[in-house]
Amino acid sequence: MPDLLDSPNSGRGDRPLTALSVGRDPKESGEDNRSLTVAVPTPLLLCQRVSKWYGPVIGVNQVTLELRSGITGLVGSNGAGKSTLMRLITGQLRPDLGSIEIRGHDAWSTAARRHVGYCPELDSFYEEMSGRQFVEAMARLCGYPRRVAIDRAAFALERVGMAGRAERRVRGYSKGMRQRIKLAQALLHDPELLVLDEPLSGIDPVGRDEFVRLFRDLASMGKCLLISSHELEELEKLTDHLAIMAHGRIAAVGTVAQIRDRLDNHPLLIRIDVKRNSPGDNDSANDERRRLAAGLLKLNDVVGVELLDARSEDAVDPVLVRARNPQRFFQELTRLVLEEWYEIARLETLDDSTSAVLGYLLRGRSA
Amino acid sequence: MGQIAANDRRTTIDLRNLSRWYGDFQALCDITFQMAPGRVGLLGPNGAGKSSLLKILLGLLPPSSGTGHVLGHVIGVEGTALRRAIGYMPEADALVPGLRGADYVALAGELYGMTRREAQRRAHEVLTYLELEDARYRRLEEYSTGMKQRLKLAQALVHDPPLLLLDEPTSGLDPAGREAMLRLLLTLGRDHNKSILLSTHLLGDVERVCDSVLILHKGRLLLQGGVAELCRRRQDRYRLQIQGDATAFREELRLEGVQILHDNGRGELRVAVPSQWVTRAFFTLADNHRVLLRGLQPDDEDLEELFHRVLKDET
Amino acid sequence: MGESLNRAATPELLHYRPWRGEFRTPAASVWPIARVALMSIFQKWMFWIIYILGLLIFLLFFFGQYLLSWAETQAGESDVQLGGWGRMNPRHLIALFRGFLKLDGSAESYRGFFAYQGYIVMIVLALAGSILIGNDLRFGSLPYYLSKPLSRWHYLLGKGLAVAVFINLMTTLPAVVLFAQWGVLESWEYLFERFDLLLGILGYGLVLTVTLTVLLLATATWLRRTVPLIMMWTTLFFFCRLLSAAMVDGLRFSPRWRLIDLWNSTSLIGAACLGLDLETIRPGNQPPWYEAALALGGVSLLCLTYLIHRIRGVEIVR
Repeated sequence: MPDLLDSPNSGRGDRPLTALSVGRDPKESGEDNRSLTVAVPTPLLLCQRVSKWYGPVIGVNQVTLELRSGITGLVGSNGAGKSTLMRLITGQLRPDLGSIEIRGHDAWSTAARRHVGYCPELDSFYEEMSGRQFVEAMARLCGYPRRVAIDRAAFALERVGMAGRAERRVRGYSKGMRQRIKLAQALLHDPELLVLDEPLSGIDPVGRDEFVRLFRDLASMGKCLLISSHELEELEKLTDHLAIMAHGRIAAVGTVAQIRDRLDNHPLLIRIDVKRNSPGDNDSANDERRRLAAGLLKLNDVVGVELLDARSEDAVDPVLVRARNPQRFFQELTRLVLEEWYEIARLETLDDSTSAVLGYLLRGRSA
Repeated sequence: MGQIAANDRRTTIDLRNLSRWYGDFQALCDITFQMAPGRVGLLGPNGAGKSSLLKILLGLLPPSSGTGHVLGHVIGVEGTALRRAIGYMPEADALVPGLRGADYVALAGELYGMTRREAQRRAHEVLTYLELEDARYRRLEEYSTGMKQRLKLAQALVHDPPLLLLDEPTSGLDPAGREAMLRLLLTLGRDHNKSILLSTHLLGDVERVCDSVLILHKGRLLLQGGVAELCRRRQDRYRLQIQGDATAFREELRLEGVQILHDNGRGELRVAVPSQWVTRAFFTLADNHRVLLRGLQPDDEDLEELFHRVLKDET
Repeated sequence: MGESLNRAATPELLHYRPWRGEFRTPAASVWPIARVALMSIFQKWMFWIIYILGLLIFLLFFFGQYLLSWAETQAGESDVQLGGWGRMNPRHLIALFRGFLKLDGSAESYRGFFAYQGYIVMIVLALAGSILIGNDLRFGSLPYYLSKPLSRWHYLLGKGLAVAVFINLMTTLPAVVLFAQWGVLESWEYLFERFDLLLGILGYGLVLTVTLTVLLLATATWLRRTVPLIMMWTTLFFFCRLLSAAMVDGLRFSPRWRLIDLWNSTSLIGAACLGLDLETIRPGNQPPWYEAALALGGVSLLCLTYLIHRIRGVEIVR
């Protein structure tokens, strides 16, 4: 399915792409409990074969996506259709083809919008207002009576950590404070689904950490978050569940590991360092390294082994392995290590990060 | 005189006790550092004084006290000579509406003091190098974010300066664009001997491009030095990536005296091991408990942890 | 040296190439700034329309002068019938026209031309202000300019040069053409005898250029957008005029109050440059020209101070 872009089935695209994350408790290492609760009748968000044109330009091309809970990252290059999809989900645009349902309501309807909070990418403030005034005004626009609006605004501002700074005018806010205010106005009506367009861009590392924590809290309260971001390292901290978009289509949905495993034409690139016995002992380490390389070559799933120069004094030169079928490879590697008495200093898969997966998916297409 | 010149070749930036006040607000406080030719990351939260520092280095803002040299030019006195030696890539879009890409870069060249023809020639050369070949004759309004960023880099490179000051060069770029930009910067710095001062919020950028780092906080320089030297080596810490039901495995680890410091719930553990620990033991335990050990790395401090540690020590 | 040779020899064509060369002085960058500013103005069709409008006034003067002097040579001695009013000598008729339109190569004629053309220039400038300088502040191009080896003086000079070129293209240059035309039409001696008029034209142009340029740069820096800028100019040149008229003519205040009308002040100095008597100026009861010069100088200085304060590469935090 990650190679959906090229698969002959993609024309139909009529099945939901995968079962999606459900009620994950971070403490339980559950990899597989995600697909267990598919039986819930109406998913929170269900996009079915959605397409959207801007004049002659197609923004979103037959996207099918289902979200139930947890945090999902939406990644892809600029112009891949991420923002369009988000605006379709939040009911600001109406799909030209297909349907979007939120808890069974058409996303275009008011009933659906009660469940959705949206944090836009661009700033759209009344710069002369204070942060609190702005959020209160937004609450009033949501239809809350004055008193309730004030309470709701205060609560939302508290949530995003702006309670102490909300009296200043928006004009003087930093990028991070603006993002917080935007997030606060999305939280006002306590929606189940939060759609956040680039909430992490332009925020300093300290603020980003706080945001990551806030998003995790929201998710643990049972909210469903769809977050687009270019900052993949940050996204990785937040979630490993991704929807990857390219050319207006969803190229893959699932956890990074799931998507990576499905990229069969790119064998996993693994780096292995053997440990040196004593600091200056290069010769025996090198012999050990060659012995390991020879051992690795005997494994079935290994398609290539390379000896690299670390170009540094205190490090052992690494061995690079390309292997298919990671499950079996790691099993056999464990056996090899145990039987042949290797002491491994480092074992690292170099290309299973979000950015590597994204690179393979998007480049694989253009190549 | 000769000695000064010889000195200059070794230090790109040399600041001594530099401070800057805006009225009562102190933006920079007693900054002292020397930058050898190389690639330096400038980190700090908002309001740390990064942009003030950049403006002072550009000679746009005089320091309130203290002295400094950039490539041998005195800060606050030799403004024009200073800026001639620097290529500055601003964070804002900084485009001149109505111009075409090539004109924009050529104008920068002319403003740096090149003749018109020479600036135009060089503009095309730089744009080709930055892979904007096809966009040269397009109007700036039609440029995408990624192209704008490279265009801003082009106008900073047009006069081939020895020092580049880059303010958030990857902001707004998608992953592929960011990767390409970082590769460009690394090549410029490593292979073409450009000194780079990279101010950014993205620690990953600094990790990719820079070999040393400056951390500013509330106007003070908290830390400077090589990334590799500053990050703590932690001999007894490992990061493990495992697959499968880890409950028994974790229990067994604990019994062996291994401390589990963090579990991200997605199969990554950070552990502290007792002395005399051999990594083979991880494999043995994993094998015994039907867990797949997919990764094992020494858990040395990375730039992000370093950054947060330094900031935490401060507060 | 050897290193750079090696680098050039690498097979990659698109390799980064170092550049070595002499840099010119910062003053050399004034013209590129002005050129780009002018270019961005001329890209807008709106300016061509207004420019053509301005050109029409010039053509009216140009062909008016030509036609009247042609008619003079054609006119016979016999009187011509003027509708039902009676007969009149054509020479008197032509003289009457000339006196009325001031198409007589006199200082009055040039003052009229400057006055009419000035209105058009004002409209153009109000529209051009945001493109010239307001946009630089709004879209953050200022760091682009100021991070180059030039001072803010050079930047302002460049922008000012663009405005100056524009103003002179619409006022001084056509006026000089009219002056030359009169010389060709009437007599060559005119060019030498009334050389003072040429100097007057240049002087008037200079006054207009300096005042309007500085004023435009300052207001555009302050307001940045076109609509507020137009409102500001209307206030400055229309409302102030009404106000001063009401105060001096209506409330019988001192003629010095006319100094708040900057446009009036420029025409006062312009008239002085052309050697015109202050008595001939409508409305009457004017302050002396040197007071007007003082007022304009003061305003310009104020604008310059503001500009220097505002044009810098840094946004002051807090």
